[in-house]
Amino acid sequence: MMMPVADNTPAFLTMAMAGAILPQLIIAFGIALALLLVAWRRSQRTIALFTGVVIVMALLANISLLVTPAIQVTQLLKVDGYSTFAFSLILISALVALPMSHKFLSAQIEVHDEYYLLLLLMVLGAGVLVTSDHYASLFLGFELLSISLVGLVGYQRESQYSVESGFKYLILSASASSFMLLGIAFIYSVSGDMSFSAVISKTIYNQPDLGVFFQLGLLLFVSGVAFKLSVAPFHFWTPDVYQGSPTPVTMLLATISKIAMFVVLLKCFAAQQYLLLENVQQFLLIFAITSMLLGNVMALKQQNLKRLFAYSSIAHMGYLLIVLIVTSEQNLAFTWQSVLFYLAAYTVANLSVFIVIELLQQQLTTQQADITLSDIKGLFWRAPSYALLMILAILSLAGIPLTMGFIGKFYILSQATIAHAWWLIAALIVGSGIGLAYYLPLIFKLFSAESSPDQNVKISVKNIVEKVLVYSLVGVSLVFGIFPEVINQLINT
Amino acid sequence: MTSIPLFHVLILSSLLFAIGFVGVVARKNTLFILMSLEVMLNAIGVAFIGAGSVWQQADGQVMFILILTLAAVEAAVGLALLIRMQKKYRSLDIDLLSQMKG
Repeated sequence: MMMPVADNTPAFLTMAMAGAILPQLIIAFGIALALLLVAWRRSQRTIALFTGVVIVMALLANISLLVTPAIQVTQLLKVDGYSTFAFSLILISALVALPMSHKFLSAQIEVHDEYYLLLLLMVLGAGVLVTSDHYASLFLGFELLSISLVGLVGYQRESQYSVESGFKYLILSASASSFMLLGIAFIYSVSGDMSFSAVISKTIYNQPDLGVFFQLGLLLFVSGVAFKLSVAPFHFWTPDVYQGSPTPVTMLLATISKIAMFVVLLKCFAAQQYLLLENVQQFLLIFAITSMLLGNVMALKQQNLKRLFAYSSIAHMGYLLIVLIVTSEQNLAFTWQSVLFYLAAYTVANLSVFIVIELLQQQLTTQQADITLSDIKGLFWRAPSYALLMILAILSLAGIPLTMGFIGKFYILSQATIAHAWWLIAALIVGSGIGLAYYLPLIFKLFSAESSPDQNVKISVKNIVEKVLVYSLVGVSLVFGIFPEVINQLINT
Repeated sequence: MTSIPLFHVLILSSLLFAIGFVGVVARKNTLFILMSLEVMLNAIGVAFIGAGSVWQQADGQVMFILILTLAAVEAAVGLALLIRMQKKYRSLDIDLLSQMKG
């Protein structure tokens, strides 16, 4: 009932293969060295600097890989242009989150080496995920990513929400990964092969007994991944965890974990041709429509900025799912291109938003845990550079022309139109319309004249690293919004 | 010796998984929730071992070893959080963890 794949790839690691996974190897080696470094000298500055160097080296190695052809690295991993691009996005997000984390951690007396270790482990997990070509490596990457995220989410011991958000994330993420694993077990027990590139004959689905388990397995697998993507109806953890975790961790949650999960989902689905199955399509359709509508509607009444952007990220994952539903064998390259472009736009916007939130949080004199809408009132008059960054990010998330978000949405719309998926298009338009109703008031708030007296202090950006971060993100969102072809060329090579 | 059909193994593992899941959803004590999570993971182990022996491959058992590792890691992280919860709230009732709303 199924044919084992003709396997030409050697089981051992050749030099060419090692070169292809060099970025991941650098990160893994960096983790081991960081452990030794902790034993040698416990200093916040040293470990932060070391982590930065490791990530930059991995990024450089990764960028040099962008032009090399796709290569299968044993059965487990497959490095191609798409995964390399996605890993670059992940490394850049980690690099942006690093100085933010350092700033946030150095406010405390304790030395927090573990934070940086967890950060590196998480990046390694994401790196394994985006290159995985086998359910076993998917599982490994998934768990590396989620378990280290649990550690990061509950990291801030003094915060009132840390235990709550840590537990919520642990229990829900563990159940989700169990669901996904059970799905993999069912798929494996019917198909007999865990490699993504295994050829599965269509007759499997129609077997009397085991066919049911295969379909159930697929459903379980999809729901496990959907949980990580915080797609409705698996989104309940998202706002609480976003709010309860330290802002740099929220930044990582919103970018790295989403990029890695979506890329691996598309990779698996494209290789296994699950998308041709009607059941899967219908489920994804329901997921996409509910998260587009629900995410945007729930965001309307949020006062807390982190919760607002949590709901907005639910809606954005719904938009992205459209591409997954309407894709077909012929336009797979275009699908990858639009997914990666959208992810890039989403990443830049989210990094910008959370940087501003974190910097504002540090400015607050009182020990206030949350940034609410009233905290950004009149921000433009106090800190124009922050406000500019925030405006660009919000415009991009809302999909206003001349931003990256607009181009990303345009790709999604054009794909959906080719596939005649009118329901999805309707939901996308309605969702974006509702989205404007909370994105635009945010911008008005930034410009509003009246602000409470204690907030009249002018915020000045002192730290040189923060200045570089803020201005380079402004530059990136402007340049790529006006010249999106640059990114497309990177993806296409 | 008659072999057990794969279908039965999968039914068994689904049942075990359901028991674990009901435990996660219904239990109030955090320690029991963590234990139910382990039950879920072991149910998956049964399915993998069964499938591996049907296909005469080592893959199923390799996955089981990975799952065991995961179970240990989850227990470690979970218990660490549990201790912090006990210290902070003097209780392991999961309903205490519902401060965030909106």
